[in-house]
Amino acid sequence: MADSSDISPVSSARRIALKAGLKLGALAGGAGLVGAGQVSAAATPDPLITEVQDWNRYLGDGVDANPYGKPSVHESDAVRRTVSWLTADNKSSINFTPLHKLDGIITPNGLCFERHHGGVADIAPGDHRLMINGLVETPLVFTMEDLERFPRESHVYFLECAANSGMEWRGAQLNGCQFTHGMVHNVMYTGVKLKHLLAEAGVSPRGKWLLPEGADPSHMTRSIPIDKAMDDCMVVFRMNGEALRPEQGYPLRLVVPGWEGNMWVKWLRRLEIGDQPWHHREETSKYTDLLADGTARRFTWTMDVKSIITNPSPQSPIRHGRGRTVLTGLAWSGHGTVKRVDVSIDGGRNWSTARLDGPTLAKSLHRFYYEFDWDGSELFLQSRAIDEQRQVQPTKDALRAERGVNSIYHNNGIQTWHIRPDGSAENVEVS
Amino acid sequence: MLMSSTAGHAAGNVDAGRKLFGQCAACHAVGKTAGHQFGPMLNGVMERPAASADGYSYSDALKQAAQNGLVWDEPSLDAFLESPMTYVVGTKMAFAGMRDEAQRQDMIAFLQQIDSSGSGATATVEPPAANSLVSESSAPEAQRPLARDTTVPEHGVLHLGRLALPEEVAAWDIDIRPDGLGLPTGSGSVETGGQIYDAQCAVCHGVFGEGAGRWPVLAGGFDTLSDERPEKTIGSYWPYVSTVYDYVRRAMPFGNARSLSDDDVYALTAYLLYLNDQVSEDFTLSTDNFASITLPNVDNFIADDRMEEVHYASREEPCMQDCIPGEATVTQRARVLDVTPDNGDDDNAGGGID
Ligand code: HEC
Ligand code: HEC
Repeated sequence: MADSSDISPVSSARRIALKAGLKLGALAGGAGLVGAGQVSAAATPDPLITEVQDWNRYLGDGVDANPYGKPSVHESDAVRRTVSWLTADNKSSINFTPLHKLDGIITPNGLCFERHHGGVADIAPGDHRLMINGLVETPLVFTMEDLERFPRESHVYFLECAANSGMEWRGAQLNGCQFTHGMVHNVMYTGVKLKHLLAEAGVSPRGKWLLPEGADPSHMTRSIPIDKAMDDCMVVFRMNGEALRPEQGYPLRLVVPGWEGNMWVKWLRRLEIGDQPWHHREETSKYTDLLADGTARRFTWTMDVKSIITNPSPQSPIRHGRGRTVLTGLAWSGHGTVKRVDVSIDGGRNWSTARLDGPTLAKSLHRFYYEFDWDGSELFLQSRAIDEQRQVQPTKDALRAERGVNSIYHNNGIQTWHIRPDGSAENVEVS
Repeated sequence: MLMSSTAGHAAGNVDAGRKLFGQCAACHAVGKTAGHQFGPMLNGVMERPAASADGYSYSDALKQAAQNGLVWDEPSLDAFLESPMTYVVGTKMAFAGMRDEAQRQDMIAFLQQIDSSGSGATATVEPPAANSLVSESSAPEAQRPLARDTTVPEHGVLHLGRLALPEEVAAWDIDIRPDGLGLPTGSGSVETGGQIYDAQCAVCHGVFGEGAGRWPVLAGGFDTLSDERPEKTIGSYWPYVSTVYDYVRRAMPFGNARSLSDDDVYALTAYLLYLNDQVSEDFTLSTDNFASITLPNVDNFIADDRMEEVHYASREEPCMQDCIPGEATVTQRARVLDVTPDNGDDDNAGGGID
């Protein structure tokens, strides 16, 4: 497992140490996990303090060295990662958000996970059109310029792929919250409420369903009930202030708050109104939840209440030894806000309520913290979210008892990380 | 070797070729980090002998052609791209071909300026002139009509956008519903469908729809839905035949979407029904008999009733103390079936994301 964020400072320390004629062993930054931070009393003064460092003396880059700024070179492992065997081809594939590298609630644009069905379409905004047709008074075509003349709003919403954690139905499989839970991101979108666009075309009273369609080679389509479309759906062109990233649907995407990510059609080019659902491929062959008896649920749109401890976790072990420890994670619900998150360190025997920090917005990620003194014994970490409708995040076994293990989608079961006495962490299931 | 954007020696245009490469990208990669995919990596392919990329397993047909002296240059590549399967009979490049000569020239010009290191594959992007999402708005003020001389449309509430023309709606509104709404007039036989399928689909989906490698399985899997490893196919799982027509028409073949005629899609739908034992080999699917086809699994879909599951329906305050007796014991570890990418193990041991 590559984790270079703690390697670079050590190697620069090593360089300084050699210059100063010191032995590396005297410095922090040993090989094992525990002990790396045990600096109760330094034997020798820290050269990082006593010596003048390069960055203290020599000038760095000037302004405009990077017209579009990038993360520090020391953060090179805070990147999206894929699991190649999950799909046949990288044009119709996925990668995962590095949740263990992030804090707060907003996902940086370059780290939002990707899921495409025909690669990333490259569309010049001047060439993009949005059409509204079907059961409307006036079928319309909008340019991007037209869309920017509608009243704009900004809202923070999570987007979770319905297949997030889908690999874990049969049991613990992938080692790291990036892989088990990384098909979620949380972004502030700016755009236009769909109801304004639909009002412009005039929806017929017979119009009960909406079909959004993408301009990419998959021409993605999903059926959405008109009530949802009129309620909080948006057509957006900005994420976290800047234009949508190409891989998130530039120049235009649909936002369907709280509902499965597949419905948030990217490269959105058309909205059709109809009186019945279309039963297209992504709502029949895919995104239907097969149950143990061979029947399948369809139109399972809402993403249920869920949470995950992001640190510590397999890709982010405890390196500081026993004592004060910060546990943190994310919680969300497609039904609204998260009211409470409980944390257990003994595999679900006893629970303590965690501290929710930062804005608690409906259908957005919430950040929680739980600070405790670790005595160095093994831990079984779990988190359990409860949303504003008092739905409680279920255990994986409770879900399996109801649904079997072939659902693929909508696995919001409680995750367990096993922390070993050396601070390393592993994806496990416990009884 | 880096050539300017339009300079290849071939008569074609590099940038146009780069765009056309989208048709090849389902199977081939180019660029600095490119490797073999379904087809061989194409960096520096021009002027190299056919079937000579290391580590790629070519068809016997292409290897034989190489032994007979086939080298990729302008004339040979032009002929190959026009109709791969007739130029090299037995090649596994199941690509129908580029009929348009100008397009082939563009493609060759593009491939020609990519050297073996992959430089030349990506365009150097020119920044847009104006600081706006909409590039059209960069016209200088003087050339624009005065605002007071522009007209405001009458439709709607805010009077934005313009009327969609019937031709425009017809071009984009290609969706089909289970009740047949949207179905174009036409027909296609199992026999014709089989020919198109073998030429354009079998390379990924297998001759019998069994799926080559990890590409999707399209046929079979009957009575497996409650098995340990269910196989969800058109025949075993899909509720409606309209979905087959709609999806093939909008998204297949992968890498060359919207290239099939309406009758081709009828024929392919008929053939996929045949591969799934739903119709006989002399069947012809048409607008008139479309509604008579019912797929076996249609009645096995139910509404979303997650909220009636015990864990949600109870709405109980969750337990906080001494909830489970005894100490936690590990029942499953990721390590046992560790397929995390970091561990270099590439086997699919468990579920997928579909
Ligand atoms: C459906 C997948 C597919 C598509 C689409 C496709 N190819 Fe291929 N291509 C292959 C395969 C597979 C081979 C190997 C052929 C063999 O071994 O017989 C190949 C071989 C080739 C070769 C010979 C390479 C060598 O090393 O000898 C060239 C050149 C080539 N393709 C160019 C293209 C171009 C250009 C396009 C787009 C216009 C394209 N291909 C589209 C699958 C594809
Ligand atoms: C280059 C490989 C390739 C070729 C050639 C190809 N397909 Fe596909 N096909 C795919 C991939 C990849 C998917 C899944 C796409 C996704 O999930 O986004 C797919 C999906 C499908 C599906 C839906 C499968 C399901 O279970 O949901 C059907 C039906 C289908 N293809 C039919 C066809 C037909 C008909 C042709 C020929 C005209 C064809 N395909 C040619 C790669 C290919």
